[in-house]
Amino acid sequence: MQPTRKRYGLKLKGGWAVTVLLCALVLSCAPAQTSRVEAAGLAQATTPSSGLVCTTSPDASFTLTAETGYISTPDGNTIFMWSYSPDATSFQYPGPFLCVNQGDTVTVTLKNTLPEDVSIIFPGQQDVLANGIPSQPQYLNGELTSLTTVAGKNGGTVTYSFVAKEPGTYLYESGTDIEKQTQMGLFGGLVVRPSGHPNQAYANSGSKFNPSTEFTMLLSEIDPDLHQAIERGTRFDITTYHPRYWMINGRSFPDTIADNGAAWLPTQPYGALVHMQPKSASNPDPALVRYLNVGMRNHPFHPHGNNGRVIGRDGSALVGPIGEDLSYEKYLVLVGSSQTWDVTYDWTDTDLWQPNTNPIPVTIPSQQDLTFKDSATWYSGSPYLGIQDELPVGVTSYNECGEYYHVWHSHALNEAANYDTGFGGMFTLQRIDPPSPNTCP
Amino acid sequence: MTKPPTSRKKLTRRNFISLGGGMAALAGVNLLPAMAKVLANPAPVQAAIVAAPPMATSTNIHLVGTDGWIYLPGPSSIVGDTPPRTVYPDPLAPGGRTTYIFGFRNVTGLSSTAVNDQKGKAQAPAPLLYVDQEADVRITLTNLGLQVRPDLVDSHTIHWHGFRNAIPLFDGVPEMSIAVPIGRDFTYYYKPHDPGTYMYHCHFEDVEHVQMGMTGVVFVRPAMNTPTQKYVYNDASTAYDREFVIFLTELWASAHYDDAHIQVSDWSEYSPDFWLMNGRCFPDTLQPAGDPLTIPGQPVLQYQPISSLVKANAGERVLLRFVNLGYQQHAMTLDGLSMRIVGKDATLLKGLGTTNPQIRNGADVSYETNTVYIGPGESYDAIFTAPNVTTDTTYLLYNRKFMYLNNGGTGTGGQMTEVRISPAGTLSPQAAPNT
Repeated sequence: MQPTRKRYGLKLKGGWAVTVLLCALVLSCAPAQTSRVEAAGLAQATTPSSGLVCTTSPDASFTLTAETGYISTPDGNTIFMWSYSPDATSFQYPGPFLCVNQGDTVTVTLKNTLPEDVSIIFPGQQDVLANGIPSQPQYLNGELTSLTTVAGKNGGTVTYSFVAKEPGTYLYESGTDIEKQTQMGLFGGLVVRPSGHPNQAYANSGSKFNPSTEFTMLLSEIDPDLHQAIERGTRFDITTYHPRYWMINGRSFPDTIADNGAAWLPTQPYGALVHMQPKSASNPDPALVRYLNVGMRNHPFHPHGNNGRVIGRDGSALVGPIGEDLSYEKYLVLVGSSQTWDVTYDWTDTDLWQPNTNPIPVTIPSQQDLTFKDSATWYSGSPYLGIQDELPVGVTSYNECGEYYHVWHSHALNEAANYDTGFGGMFTLQRIDPPSPNTCP
Repeated sequence: MTKPPTSRKKLTRRNFISLGGGMAALAGVNLLPAMAKVLANPAPVQAAIVAAPPMATSTNIHLVGTDGWIYLPGPSSIVGDTPPRTVYPDPLAPGGRTTYIFGFRNVTGLSSTAVNDQKGKAQAPAPLLYVDQEADVRITLTNLGLQVRPDLVDSHTIHWHGFRNAIPLFDGVPEMSIAVPIGRDFTYYYKPHDPGTYMYHCHFEDVEHVQMGMTGVVFVRPAMNTPTQKYVYNDASTAYDREFVIFLTELWASAHYDDAHIQVSDWSEYSPDFWLMNGRCFPDTLQPAGDPLTIPGQPVLQYQPISSLVKANAGERVLLRFVNLGYQQHAMTLDGLSMRIVGKDATLLKGLGTTNPQIRNGADVSYETNTVYIGPGESYDAIFTAPNVTTDTTYLLYNRKFMYLNNGGTGTGGQMTEVRISPAGTLSPQAAPNT
């Protein structure tokens, strides 16, 4: 049963258009991730259509601006956000994925345009300095005011620095008014690559991956009531926290499968489509998926299609004291609040089914005996990878070249929804192309 | 067949959102076509459990999807809000039962008349299935429709959760391939290469159909099994004598009531009232295993046939297959006994070997614990050795999240059962899981 769509609070019909309008009139949203990063004077390779978009810097020096903006949800809502943006002129959610190399001295300068103090903490990093002195919790009259040194409201600045000692996947997030500011969107991801091994997650060879298939699943939740309260300057009681939107890399499904930098999501530059090819002699290395949970809930994330191999957690490789492999496979990764998990994936055409020489030993019913849900499908019309076959008249296909699609989603299925509407939320797709050479665009 | 023109265009957000609800237009759907089928090698006629002989090369299973009614012990009533209405016990529930469900039934080997007769008689949880590594497994799903909701023409699917290197056509996600309309059959094909504990569920409008009860356990027996010794994986450290599936779900009474009474639910308000172990709440969990084709000693439990009572002789190795298909996380504690976690998510807990990186014969990463913390969609394989008792001794297995240890807010209930250990030689060998 499809529930009827209800409207709450500031939900607006045609939110897509409304967001674009707001951007055009108010926020001067830049059209794409690449241009924003270039504007900040940072090195940026061509943005891939899917996969991790790294923000890098020759001297591992970054400037982030805490500012306000709006994002849109697939059900037409528009939500007021705060976030760390990589330049002063545009807004993006979440903050950029900062990629550095092990041993780099990382410098992050925070500029604050918000009407209250803001800061950044770097969980998992050691000996973080703030303005050159050790970062310390802040107190006023004996009361804790911030977990670290702040950039003062309305224009303050602070500079953090640390040596990225250990490779891995990390969060960075606000350390001030934390339950509010992190929920408002002040967070991002940090990737530290092992010295001399850009195609490994860690120093051990078991963490090798195909650099063209590196992905993030940055998991977050949104309670729109909190955001509305902040926008209106009213109080919000965090004990009433009740998320209604669940996101990956700052988007909810189906926006998650749109390209990185999709023009109709001007403030949400990061997609979450997992686009890869089968494991083969010419594609021997797996994809790497870096999970990060910035929410206050644990999220049980289920990749269909295959188990993943957990090779690291919270910036530590799963390697024993004498180098033994301690990795394990999971078909569900329970990513706890603030945890990071590094998981490699491949998909293997195990049984090499072929329509003529090795057919799947089961009869597939005629199309009139099957349901094509909502008259749209990602199905190729054939069970065989690389083959497209007939689909019923009137069914819209999103299949381009006989590729396979699997869903990856939170298995707390109430989170696989946009508010009250299913087939959304913390949900994305894995796309497996036929082996090269193929006809895929 | 003439080749129909199909529209193949890239997804844009606008045309995605414009997709309406409801099914694909299917011209000329006739209700309930002939369902008699010739199964090459039908499994024994055992409605709750499919038992394949050791290392079957081919297994055929026939499931139906439909609706039904189950019994949950609880307070005199639970009143849902907005609007206030008595959501438990459901006033429409027949035969002393309380709660409306969607679910599956195993009808393998039944006549087509008998298959059709199971409409409106779904069980909770779905039938426990087990198959052998490398077998050709065919699971035919027949959608019988919903007895209580003839207006609701939902299709169903089977998603084998965790099946490795899956083919989308057999993965059961309707948007990624197809679903099975009312009155039709579809045969899913699997060749399982990896032993271990999995689960299966309908993926059609999953938030609803999973909560409504279309969930169960399937496990794959390893090639190393012999007629006299069972293993969880192809590894001697995983030998066991008896096995019990501990399948965990939650039930939100308002949503079940609303489905029976032609209302919709806002799933972001998910707030369960009951916490189930193998489809029952304590103390019903202790009742013996049944068969939905037979009225049991406690008649209201006819469609909740799986017992959670764990029984073993002193010295035996007992396997508990923990599976969670609720939306909450659970903390299953076994008081007074230590469990060894030998597998998770159908994977032996050994690191990759150094000689062949594809084989898990490296470092042992199994561990001892007395609490299994398990998220939705996870499975844990835990083995304990029954202590050397000389008289019958009882241990408790329960959810340490005490707020889930009640039935609709009353009593000690929910996800709890007993582990009863008898002196050596008391019980005869186990014939089937959970017996």
